Amino acid sequence: MSIISSIGGLQSSLLNRLPGAGRLDAPASPMLPRLDGPASPTGTTPASFSSVFEQMVSAVDAKQTEAQDITRQVLMGQNDQLHQSVIAMQEAGVAFQLMVEVRNKLVDSYQELMRMPV
Amino acid sequence: MNLISGIDVSAGALNAQRTRLDIVAQNIANAQTTRAADGQPYQRRVVSFESELLKKQGVPGASLQSVKVAQIMPDKTPGQRVYDPQHPDAGADGMVQLPNVNLAYEMVDLITATRAYEANLSVVKNGRQMAMKALEIGK
Repeated sequence: MSIISSIGGLQSSLLNRLPGAGRLDAPASPMLPRLDGPASPTGTTPASFSSVFEQMVSAVDAKQTEAQDITRQVLMGQNDQLHQSVIAMQEAGVAFQLMVEVRNKLVDSYQELMRMPV
Repeated sequence: MNLISGIDVSAGALNAQRTRLDIVAQNIANAQTTRAADGQPYQRRVVSFESELLKKQGVPGASLQSVKVAQIMPDKTPGQRVYDPQHPDAGADGMVQLPNVNLAYEMVDLITATRAYEANLSVVKNGRQMAMKALEIGK
């Protein structure tokens, strides 16, 4: 279900950038022809949102650590790639911002549910 | 996860231009060196670049070309010969072979390298701005 239908394409390209994350609603093997008649739910179960988010948090953490390492190397004089350090810091910042944005959306949707009149 | 696309290309270009700046610094510093490591007058070095294919994982067909320093070659043109018999490196006829460094060329190279570095920095800056703007969708 995609309420804003044109977003589907964006979503897949965004998720492809996360290591190990696929489209949540994608079938397990879309390229294989179906031979055995009606659909039988085979293949892996789709990853839950929490595991995808966990992967994202660890990817952001890895980026921060990498930026820290390069910056330390530059400061200690083991590396003279000043721009690499600044670029790594910027990348880590953007990744962190993306994570915060996802968390904000999550909290928003939770609050929207809590406001639902029963 | 690479959120700022194309930033690896710019990083390679920044590195290449910095190497060029280093070589210009070396040439200017050795503008008066009449005896280099091989005993001959210093020969100015010239940097040449070559493109480098970046492998992008997970994106089939999309390959970007960055740049790297191909080689650093000495400039073979002979330097000026001046008459200076007091010079320690003067020959029997009193002539001294000077390095072939031309400060005007080096200054032009210096400015070109600086401007190219700045151009690549603005690519990085704009890539980051685009990513941040994309995060503002829906605000």
